[in-house]
Amino acid sequence: MEHPILFISVILEALGLPVPHGPVGHTFLEQLCAPYMTYTWLVMAFLYFVAKLTVSDLEMVPGKGQNFWEIVIGGLDNFFADNMGRKLTDEFFPMLATFGLYIAVANLIGLIPGFMSPTASLNTTLALTIIVWLSHHYIGLREHGLSYYKHFMGPMWWLVPLMLPIELISNLARLISLSIRLFGNIMAKETLLGILFMLAGAFFAPLPIMLLGVLVSLVQAMVFVLLSVVYFSQAQDHAH
Amino acid sequence: MSDFKKEMMFLIGHYGHIGITFVASIFIGMGGGILIDQKVFDGRTAPWFTFIGLAFGIVAGFKSLFEVLWRASKNLEKDNNETDKTDQ
Repeated sequence: MEHPILFISVILEALGLPVPHGPVGHTFLEQLCAPYMTYTWLVMAFLYFVAKLTVSDLEMVPGKGQNFWEIVIGGLDNFFADNMGRKLTDEFFPMLATFGLYIAVANLIGLIPGFMSPTASLNTTLALTIIVWLSHHYIGLREHGLSYYKHFMGPMWWLVPLMLPIELISNLARLISLSIRLFGNIMAKETLLGILFMLAGAFFAPLPIMLLGVLVSLVQAMVFVLLSVVYFSQAQDHAH
Repeated sequence: MSDFKKEMMFLIGHYGHIGITFVASIFIGMGGGILIDQKVFDGRTAPWFTFIGLAFGIVAGFKSLFEVLWRASKNLEKDNNETDKTDQ
Protein backbone atom coordinates (compact mmCIF):
# COMPACT_ATOMS: atom_id res chain seq x y z
CA MET A 1 0.00 0.00 0.00
CA GLU A 2 1.22 3.46 -0.75
CA HIS A 3 2.25 5.60 2.15
CA PRO A 4 -0.22 8.46 2.73
CA ILE A 5 1.22 11.95 2.57
CA LEU A 6 0.47 13.72 5.84
CA PHE A 7 1.24 17.41 5.61
CA ILE A 8 2.14 17.90 9.27
CA SER A 9 4.66 15.06 9.08
CA VAL A 10 6.13 16.58 5.90
CA ILE A 11 6.48 19.97 7.61
CA LEU A 12 8.04 18.39 10.71
CA GLU A 13 10.50 16.44 8.59
CA ALA A 14 11.43 19.61 6.72
CA LEU A 15 12.06 21.24 10.10
CA GLY A 16 14.46 18.41 10.93
CA LEU A 17 12.33 16.72 13.61
CA PRO A 18 12.32 12.90 13.67
CA VAL A 19 9.01 11.50 12.40
CA PRO A 20 8.66 7.77 13.12
CA HIS A 21 8.17 5.51 10.12
CA GLY A 22 6.42 2.76 12.05
CA PRO A 23 3.20 3.30 14.01
CA VAL A 24 5.03 4.34 17.20
CA GLY A 25 8.46 5.93 17.63
CA HIS A 26 11.30 4.81 19.89
CA THR A 27 12.65 8.00 21.45
CA PHE A 28 10.50 10.50 23.32
CA LEU A 29 10.76 13.11 20.57
CA GLU A 30 9.80 10.54 17.94
CA GLN A 31 6.77 9.56 19.98
CA LEU A 32 5.73 13.20 20.22
CA CYS A 33 6.06 13.58 16.45
CA ALA A 34 4.01 10.47 15.60
CA PRO A 35 1.17 11.41 13.23
CA TYR A 36 -1.63 10.56 15.63
CA MET A 37 -0.10 12.89 18.24
CA THR A 38 0.41 15.81 15.89
CA TYR A 39 -3.08 15.45 14.45
CA THR A 40 -4.53 15.24 17.95
CA TRP A 41 -2.98 18.63 18.65
CA LEU A 42 -4.34 19.91 15.36
CA VAL A 43 -7.86 18.85 16.36
CA MET A 44 -7.44 20.38 19.80
CA ALA A 45 -6.22 23.65 18.29
CA PHE A 46 -9.06 23.57 15.75
CA LEU A 47 -11.73 23.12 18.43
CA TYR A 48 -10.19 25.78 20.65
CA PHE A 49 -9.76 28.45 17.98
CA VAL A 50 -13.10 27.82 16.27
CA ALA A 51 -14.90 28.13 19.60
CA LYS A 52 -12.85 31.21 20.47
CA LEU A 53 -13.55 32.91 17.14
CA THR A 54 -17.28 32.15 17.07
CA VAL A 55 -18.28 32.68 20.70
CA SER A 56 -15.61 34.95 22.12
CA ASP A 57 -18.28 37.15 23.72
CA LEU A 58 -21.77 35.88 24.45
CA GLU A 59 -24.61 38.14 23.38
CA MET A 60 -28.27 38.30 24.35
CA VAL A 61 -29.31 38.12 20.69
CA PRO A 62 -27.13 35.32 19.30
CA GLY A 63 -25.37 35.69 15.98
CA LYS A 64 -24.60 32.88 13.54
CA GLY A 65 -21.71 31.36 15.45
CA GLN A 66 -23.34 31.53 18.85
CA ASN A 67 -26.55 30.02 17.42
CA PHE A 68 -24.65 27.01 16.13
CA TRP A 69 -22.92 26.37 19.44
CA GLU A 70 -26.14 26.87 21.39
CA ILE A 71 -27.79 24.14 19.32
CA VAL A 72 -24.84 21.75 19.69
CA ILE A 73 -24.28 22.30 23.42
CA GLY A 74 -27.99 22.49 24.21
CA GLY A 75 -28.68 19.26 22.33
CA LEU A 76 -25.87 17.44 24.13
CA ASP A 77 -27.01 18.80 27.48
CA ASN A 78 -30.61 17.64 26.93
CA PHE A 79 -29.43 14.24 25.80
CA PHE A 80 -27.20 13.75 28.86
CA ALA A 81 -29.90 14.97 31.24
CA ASP A 82 -32.44 12.56 29.74
CA ASN A 83 -30.13 9.60 30.21
CA MET A 84 -28.26 10.17 33.48
CA GLY A 85 -30.05 12.89 35.39
CA ARG A 86 -29.38 16.57 35.97
CA LYS A 87 -26.84 16.23 38.80
CA LEU A 88 -24.39 13.96 36.98
CA THR A 89 -24.83 15.98 33.79
CA ASP A 90 -23.81 19.22 35.46
CA GLU A 91 -20.79 17.49 36.89
CA PHE A 92 -19.54 15.54 33.88
CA PHE A 93 -20.82 17.66 31.00
CA PRO A 94 -17.45 19.29 30.20
CA MET A 95 -15.68 15.94 29.93
CA LEU A 96 -18.30 14.09 27.91
CA ALA A 97 -19.09 16.96 25.57
CA THR A 98 -15.38 17.43 24.92
CA PHE A 99 -15.05 13.73 24.14
CA GLY A 100 -18.00 13.88 21.75
CA LEU A 101 -16.77 16.97 19.89
CA TYR A 102 -13.17 15.77 19.82
CA ILE A 103 -14.06 12.31 18.50
CA ALA A 104 -16.44 13.71 15.89
CA VAL A 105 -13.87 16.19 14.54
CA ALA A 106 -11.04 13.66 14.79
CA ASN A 107 -13.06 11.10 12.81
CA LEU A 108 -14.15 13.57 10.15
CA ILE A 109 -10.70 15.09 9.63
CA GLY A 110 -9.45 11.81 8.15
CA LEU A 111 -11.71 12.23 5.12
CA ILE A 112 -9.66 15.20 3.89
CA PRO A 113 -6.55 14.22 1.90
CA GLY A 114 -3.37 15.09 3.78
CA PHE A 115 -4.99 14.57 7.16
CA MET A 116 -5.31 11.48 9.30
CA SER A 117 -7.78 10.53 12.03
CA PRO A 118 -6.07 10.41 15.44
CA THR A 119 -8.80 7.93 16.43
CA ALA A 120 -7.43 5.48 13.83
CA SER A 121 -4.73 4.69 16.39
CA LEU A 122 -5.54 2.38 19.30
CA ASN A 123 -3.50 4.59 21.64
CA THR A 124 -5.94 7.48 21.34
CA THR A 125 -9.13 5.45 21.71
CA LEU A 126 -7.75 3.36 24.58
CA ALA A 127 -6.76 6.55 26.42
CA LEU A 128 -10.29 7.94 26.07
CA THR A 129 -11.81 4.62 27.13
CA ILE A 130 -9.62 4.27 30.22
CA ILE A 131 -10.66 7.74 31.35
CA VAL A 132 -14.35 6.83 30.93
CA TRP A 133 -13.89 3.45 32.63
CA LEU A 134 -12.07 4.87 35.65
CA SER A 135 -14.56 7.70 36.05
CA HIS A 136 -17.56 5.35 36.02
CA HIS A 137 -15.99 3.37 38.84
CA TYR A 138 -15.25 6.64 40.61
CA ILE A 139 -18.93 7.63 40.32
CA GLY A 140 -20.02 4.25 41.66
CA LEU A 141 -17.60 4.34 44.60
CA ARG A 142 -18.55 7.90 45.50
CA GLU A 143 -22.27 7.20 45.32
CA HIS A 144 -22.40 3.87 47.16
CA GLY A 145 -19.17 3.86 49.14
CA LEU A 146 -17.81 0.41 49.81
CA SER A 147 -21.17 -1.25 49.13
CA TYR A 148 -20.44 -0.58 45.45
CA TYR A 149 -19.20 -4.19 45.44
CA LYS A 150 -22.89 -5.26 45.42
CA HIS A 151 -22.97 -4.24 41.75
CA PHE A 152 -20.76 -7.23 41.02
CA MET A 153 -22.49 -9.77 43.25
CA GLY A 154 -25.62 -10.61 41.29
CA PRO A 155 -29.17 -10.77 42.64
CA MET A 156 -28.91 -13.67 45.15
CA TRP A 157 -26.21 -14.66 47.63
CA TRP A 158 -25.90 -18.27 46.48
CA LEU A 159 -25.25 -17.09 42.94
CA VAL A 160 -22.18 -15.09 43.98
CA PRO A 161 -19.49 -17.63 42.90
CA LEU A 162 -21.15 -17.76 39.50
CA MET A 163 -22.00 -14.09 39.08
CA LEU A 164 -18.78 -12.50 40.37
CA PRO A 165 -16.49 -13.71 37.54
CA ILE A 166 -19.20 -13.02 34.98
CA GLU A 167 -19.73 -9.47 36.17
CA LEU A 168 -15.99 -8.82 36.35
CA ILE A 169 -15.48 -10.18 32.83
CA SER A 170 -18.31 -8.16 31.37
CA ASN A 171 -17.06 -5.05 33.15
CA LEU A 172 -13.55 -5.52 31.76
CA ALA A 173 -15.04 -6.23 28.35
CA ARG A 174 -16.33 -2.65 28.30
CA LEU A 175 -12.73 -1.45 28.31
CA ILE A 176 -11.86 -3.52 25.25
CA SER A 177 -15.07 -3.23 23.29
CA LEU A 178 -15.43 0.54 23.64
CA SER A 179 -11.88 1.24 22.48
CA ILE A 180 -11.62 -1.40 19.76
CA ARG A 181 -14.99 -0.54 18.21
CA LEU A 182 -14.05 3.10 17.69
CA PHE A 183 -10.51 2.24 16.58
CA GLY A 184 -11.66 -0.56 14.26
CA ASN A 185 -14.34 1.47 12.53
CA ILE A 186 -12.11 4.47 11.89
CA MET A 187 -9.05 2.44 10.94
CA ALA A 188 -11.16 0.40 8.51
CA LYS A 189 -12.46 3.60 6.95
CA GLU A 190 -8.96 5.04 6.55
CA THR A 191 -7.49 1.82 5.15
CA LEU A 192 -10.37 1.28 2.75
CA LEU A 193 -10.09 4.83 1.48
CA GLY A 194 -6.35 4.40 1.02
CA ILE A 195 -6.70 1.14 -0.90
CA LEU A 196 -9.51 2.40 -3.11
CA PHE A 197 -7.59 5.58 -3.82
CA MET A 198 -4.56 3.57 -4.84
CA LEU A 199 -6.56 1.17 -7.04
CA ALA A 200 -8.94 3.48 -8.86
CA GLY A 201 -8.54 6.97 -7.48
CA ALA A 202 -8.81 8.49 -10.97
CA PHE A 203 -12.31 7.03 -11.37
CA PHE A 204 -13.64 8.43 -8.07
CA ALA A 205 -13.83 4.96 -6.52
CA PRO A 206 -13.42 6.23 -2.91
CA LEU A 207 -16.35 8.62 -3.26
CA PRO A 208 -19.13 6.29 -1.97
CA ILE A 209 -16.90 5.19 0.91
CA MET A 210 -16.26 8.84 1.75
CA LEU A 211 -20.02 9.40 1.92
CA LEU A 212 -20.31 6.38 4.20
CA GLY A 213 -17.31 7.67 6.15
CA VAL A 214 -19.13 10.86 7.12
CA LEU A 215 -22.01 8.77 8.50
CA VAL A 216 -19.72 6.32 10.31
CA SER A 217 -17.66 9.14 11.84
CA LEU A 218 -20.68 10.89 13.34
CA VAL A 219 -22.35 7.67 14.46
CA GLN A 220 -19.21 6.39 16.18
CA ALA A 221 -18.72 9.66 18.05
CA MET A 222 -22.37 9.51 19.15
CA VAL A 223 -22.15 5.86 20.20
CA PHE A 224 -19.04 6.48 22.30
CA VAL A 225 -20.73 9.29 24.20
CA LEU A 226 -24.01 7.37 24.51
CA LEU A 227 -22.30 4.34 26.02
CA SER A 228 -20.25 6.49 28.40
CA VAL A 229 -23.49 8.09 29.59
CA VAL A 230 -25.11 4.66 30.02
CA TYR A 231 -22.16 3.37 32.06
CA PHE A 232 -22.22 6.49 34.26
CA SER A 233 -25.91 6.14 34.96
CA GLN A 234 -25.56 2.41 35.68
CA ALA A 235 -22.78 3.08 38.20
CA GLN A 236 -25.01 5.72 39.80
CA ASP A 237 -28.07 3.41 40.01
CA HIS A 238 -28.70 0.98 42.83
CA ALA A 239 -27.55 -2.61 42.46
CA HIS A 240 -30.27 -4.98 41.32
CA MET B 1 -39.52 13.04 15.40
CA SER B 2 -37.75 13.31 18.73
CA ASP B 3 -39.04 9.88 19.80
CA PHE B 4 -37.90 8.41 16.54
CA LYS B 5 -34.45 9.92 16.96
CA LYS B 6 -34.21 8.61 20.52
CA GLU B 7 -35.23 5.13 19.40
CA MET B 8 -32.74 5.26 16.54
CA MET B 9 -29.92 6.33 18.86
CA PHE B 10 -30.71 3.50 21.24
CA LEU B 11 -30.73 0.98 18.41
CA ILE B 12 -27.48 2.16 16.84
CA GLY B 13 -25.73 2.61 20.16
CA HIS B 14 -26.59 -0.63 21.87
CA TYR B 15 -27.14 -3.11 19.09
CA GLY B 16 -24.15 -1.82 17.17
CA HIS B 17 -22.03 -2.35 20.26
CA ILE B 18 -23.23 -5.78 21.30
CA GLY B 19 -21.24 -7.77 18.75
CA ILE B 20 -17.86 -6.56 19.85
CA THR B 21 -18.80 -6.77 23.54
CA PHE B 22 -19.66 -10.43 23.04
CA VAL B 23 -16.32 -11.17 21.42
CA ALA B 24 -14.39 -9.15 24.00
CA SER B 25 -16.05 -11.02 26.88
CA ILE B 26 -15.11 -14.39 25.41
CA PHE B 27 -11.53 -13.31 24.81
CA ILE B 28 -11.13 -11.87 28.31
CA GLY B 29 -12.60 -15.01 29.90
CA MET B 30 -10.36 -17.33 27.92
CA GLY B 31 -7.32 -15.09 28.37
CA GLY B 32 -7.85 -15.11 32.12
CA GLY B 33 -8.18 -18.90 32.08
CA ILE B 34 -4.95 -19.31 30.11
CA LEU B 35 -3.19 -16.89 32.45
CA ILE B 36 -4.23 -18.92 35.52
CA ASP B 37 -3.21 -22.17 33.82
CA GLN B 38 0.20 -21.05 32.61
CA LYS B 39 1.37 -18.44 35.10
CA VAL B 40 -0.24 -19.46 38.39
CA PHE B 41 -0.10 -23.26 38.07
CA ASP B 42 2.78 -23.47 35.54
CA GLY B 43 0.74 -25.56 33.09
CA ARG B 44 0.06 -28.38 35.55
CA THR B 45 -3.71 -27.90 35.31
CA ALA B 46 -3.31 -27.23 31.62
CA PRO B 47 -6.63 -27.32 29.79
CA TRP B 48 -9.00 -26.99 32.74
CA PHE B 49 -8.88 -23.35 33.76
CA THR B 50 -8.81 -22.38 30.08
CA PHE B 51 -12.10 -24.16 29.55
CA ILE B 52 -13.63 -22.81 32.74
CA GLY B 53 -12.57 -19.30 31.76
CA LEU B 54 -13.95 -19.81 28.27
CA ALA B 55 -17.29 -20.92 29.73
CA PHE B 56 -17.43 -17.89 32.03
CA GLY B 57 -16.52 -15.64 29.11
CA ILE B 58 -19.32 -17.02 26.95
CA VAL B 59 -21.83 -16.66 29.79
CA ALA B 60 -20.64 -13.07 30.37
CA GLY B 61 -21.15 -12.36 26.68
CA PHE B 62 -24.71 -13.66 26.81
CA LYS B 63 -25.32 -11.71 30.00
CA SER B 64 -24.36 -8.43 28.34
CA LEU B 65 -26.62 -9.38 25.41
CA PHE B 66 -29.56 -9.96 27.73
CA GLU B 67 -28.84 -6.74 29.62
CA VAL B 68 -29.35 -4.79 26.41
CA LEU B 69 -32.62 -6.64 25.77
CA TRP B 70 -33.86 -5.99 29.33
CA ARG B 71 -33.02 -2.34 29.02
CA ALA B 72 -34.82 -2.15 25.68
CA SER B 73 -37.97 -3.73 27.13
CA LYS B 74 -37.81 -1.44 30.16
CA ASN B 75 -37.57 1.59 27.90
CA LEU B 76 -40.54 0.30 25.90
CA GLU B 77 -42.63 -0.09 29.06
CA LYS B 78 -41.71 3.40 30.21
CA ASP B 79 -42.65 4.88 26.84
CA ASN B 80 -45.95 3.00 26.85
CA ASN B 81 -46.78 4.28 30.33
CA GLU B 82 -45.99 7.82 29.27
CA THR B 83 -48.19 7.62 26.19
CA ASP B 84 -51.00 6.11 28.30
CA LYS B 85 -50.80 9.05 30.67
CA THR B 86 -50.88 11.58 27.87
CA ASP B 87 -53.86 9.79 26.30
CA GLN B 88 -56.02 10.06 29.40
